[in-house]
Amino acid sequence: MTGEGEVLNRLRDAVLKYDSEAAVEAANEAIALKIDPVKAIEEGLAKGLREIGDKFEEGELYLPHLIMGADAMEAAIHVLEGHMSKDLLESTSSGAVVIGTVEGDIHDLGLRIVASMLRANGFKVYDLGFNTKTLAFIQKAKDVNADIIAVSSLMTTTMPFMKDLIEALEASGLRDKYSVMIGGGPVSERWAKEIGASAYGRDASEAVRVAKELMAKKRRGTK
Amino acid sequence: MTAPNLWEVLDRACNTGPVMTMKDFDMKVFHTTTRLVKEHDIRYDPRTPVSSDDGLADEAWNAGLELFIEVGSYCINSGRLIRFDDTEIREGLRELRGEASVGEGGERRQLTLRGVEDKKPPTIVCGGVIESNFPEGENFVKLYQSIAQEPLIDGFYVGPPLQSSEGRVVRSGTPLETHSGRSMATWVREAVRRAGRPGLHFISACTPAIANVAAADPVDGLRRSDGIVATIMPELKTDYENLNKVTFSHDYGCVKHIYNGGMIGGWAGGPEGALVVAIANAVMAIMVYKIGIGSSYNALGYLRASAPNYSAFVTRPCVWGSSIGSQALSRNTKIINTCVAMTNAGPGTEMQLQEITSAQCAAIPCGREGVSQGARRFKVKPLLGSGLENQFWGELAYALAGIKRDLASMIAEEMLSRYEGKITRDSDGGPPGYTFDEIYDLKTLTPRKQFIDMQIKMKAELEDMGISFRY
Repeated sequence: MTGEGEVLNRLRDAVLKYDSEAAVEAANEAIALKIDPVKAIEEGLAKGLREIGDKFEEGELYLPHLIMGADAMEAAIHVLEGHMSKDLLESTSSGAVVIGTVEGDIHDLGLRIVASMLRANGFKVYDLGFNTKTLAFIQKAKDVNADIIAVSSLMTTTMPFMKDLIEALEASGLRDKYSVMIGGGPVSERWAKEIGASAYGRDASEAVRVAKELMAKKRRGTK
Repeated sequence: MTAPNLWEVLDRACNTGPVMTMKDFDMKVFHTTTRLVKEHDIRYDPRTPVSSDDGLADEAWNAGLELFIEVGSYCINSGRLIRFDDTEIREGLRELRGEASVGEGGERRQLTLRGVEDKKPPTIVCGGVIESNFPEGENFVKLYQSIAQEPLIDGFYVGPPLQSSEGRVVRSGTPLETHSGRSMATWVREAVRRAGRPGLHFISACTPAIANVAAADPVDGLRRSDGIVATIMPELKTDYENLNKVTFSHDYGCVKHIYNGGMIGGWAGGPEGALVVAIANAVMAIMVYKIGIGSSYNALGYLRASAPNYSAFVTRPCVWGSSIGSQALSRNTKIINTCVAMTNAGPGTEMQLQEITSAQCAAIPCGREGVSQGARRFKVKPLLGSGLENQFWGELAYALAGIKRDLASMIAEEMLSRYEGKITRDSDGGPPGYTFDEIYDLKTLTPRKQFIDMQIKMKAELEDMGISFRY
């Protein structure tokens, strides 16, 4: 008979092989064996995606691998979440992030990398893509009860839209509800301070670290 | 039979091309590229930054061509594929005339083909700075005057736009950017007039098409001998802004300057995939942006998009890919192809000169027709950029003409060994460098001694390595 350890390994391996069908099959088996879905996610699927993320950091794997791994993980989570309460499902998430490139900016590669790395680290990511209007970030954050709004800009002429986001959050009384982290080629720590963003991430791995710090602060109630 | 004309291409992009999600397209590019890299046995060799392998260059060309035939390109606004059959692509390649002309009067330059290890000097040396974050007005004029007064400079890149216009913050896609596009062109004309070179060519690189359109003016703005930059987005993608730029350039009759490259770590995968995609991007420039029609030229850039070190340009895999991409296009097409160096270090630093040298070693001896867009620092700090690094940019391009690829590889290896360890997250890619007013005495518009001495020292070191500077 298949044991728990074996199923967890199959969940991990399915993500590592970017195999959504195998991930779904292993997830169904986990349900049949009454394996704790949280354990199936954290010790099976997420483990695989973290390994892909580590290899990406080392330059051994690339953006498409992150995306394919995340797709396999999502497919399995879709099976598992039918057997989890909403609270339980949320407990498996490091936090909810609404992410996008600001209005007028069509760069999306760095955005996809950051989104994928956040997913690999357990964040629930809502990717709005490029050329995202300020109010769309806020609306989505409201809709999904986000913890963090993450925005990027790759041009000096689109950076002011980041300031708009902060101002719009302040104007609508929502600034304290969401952490705002920013990044992108011309963006700097100094700019983050100037516009009142919560944090700046220089690249994908720093973005993950910063997002985790923001969540830790939030949980401590020191945002 | 002729290749599909621009109107047919636009019809496919906007109306008739098959619809596909962007994610599916991106993944198709990745899977096809990965397969072609294997089929053509393309392997990254970090020990040889500048390749001398003709067979590898031809395999890379074939792989890039097959990639474009198989996946085509993608319009992100319409979600439509722009595809061509094999015959159409062959016809498109035949449209290339292998020549272009830019500039006016005494500053008119004829761009012609060069071969690998060709002794012929570069046929264009385009300078410039990018994202220089210059204030509007007098210092902007002086910056471009400092570049235009360099005798080897045949033109320059201008943009993206200033941070302010009429004292107000410029945001992309807003009316102030439209006005800024026009203002910049006017100030550039003033700069070249002051340098005594009123016909000098420039390329306008405002992000929205309308800001470039606003700059068009046969007298005081963007002339027909000037150019508009249209970009191929990673990977093999376009949008209506870029197609608008191409269409306007086509109608107005100005130069099309197509910027593209392959991004390592992104949809192309590793260095080998980025090389193949870069070549496919050049085929896209021919088929979708119609670089063979009118007077146009290509700038094959190279980016590094991801870890392990830092998002950086002119790294070892970038130089390797650039050297093979240059040769692949030179050996197999009549596209006018130029080089761009997006340096990690800023102006006035030895590291920037080293990066420029690596970038050009992968270009001039590898058959590129010239250099374009100049050197830039990716990370932005106000007032970065000057005529001095443009001078080195031009002098080096001439010095590298005629050298063998083996020597170029040796020089690139030496340069990389000096700077690649400095491209780190902690250093933000490298030293930010010095500002225009630190490098130049703005009253006399002459560079300061310490920076001139740095370039003299660098040139002497390069001469010791076996190249001769004519200028």
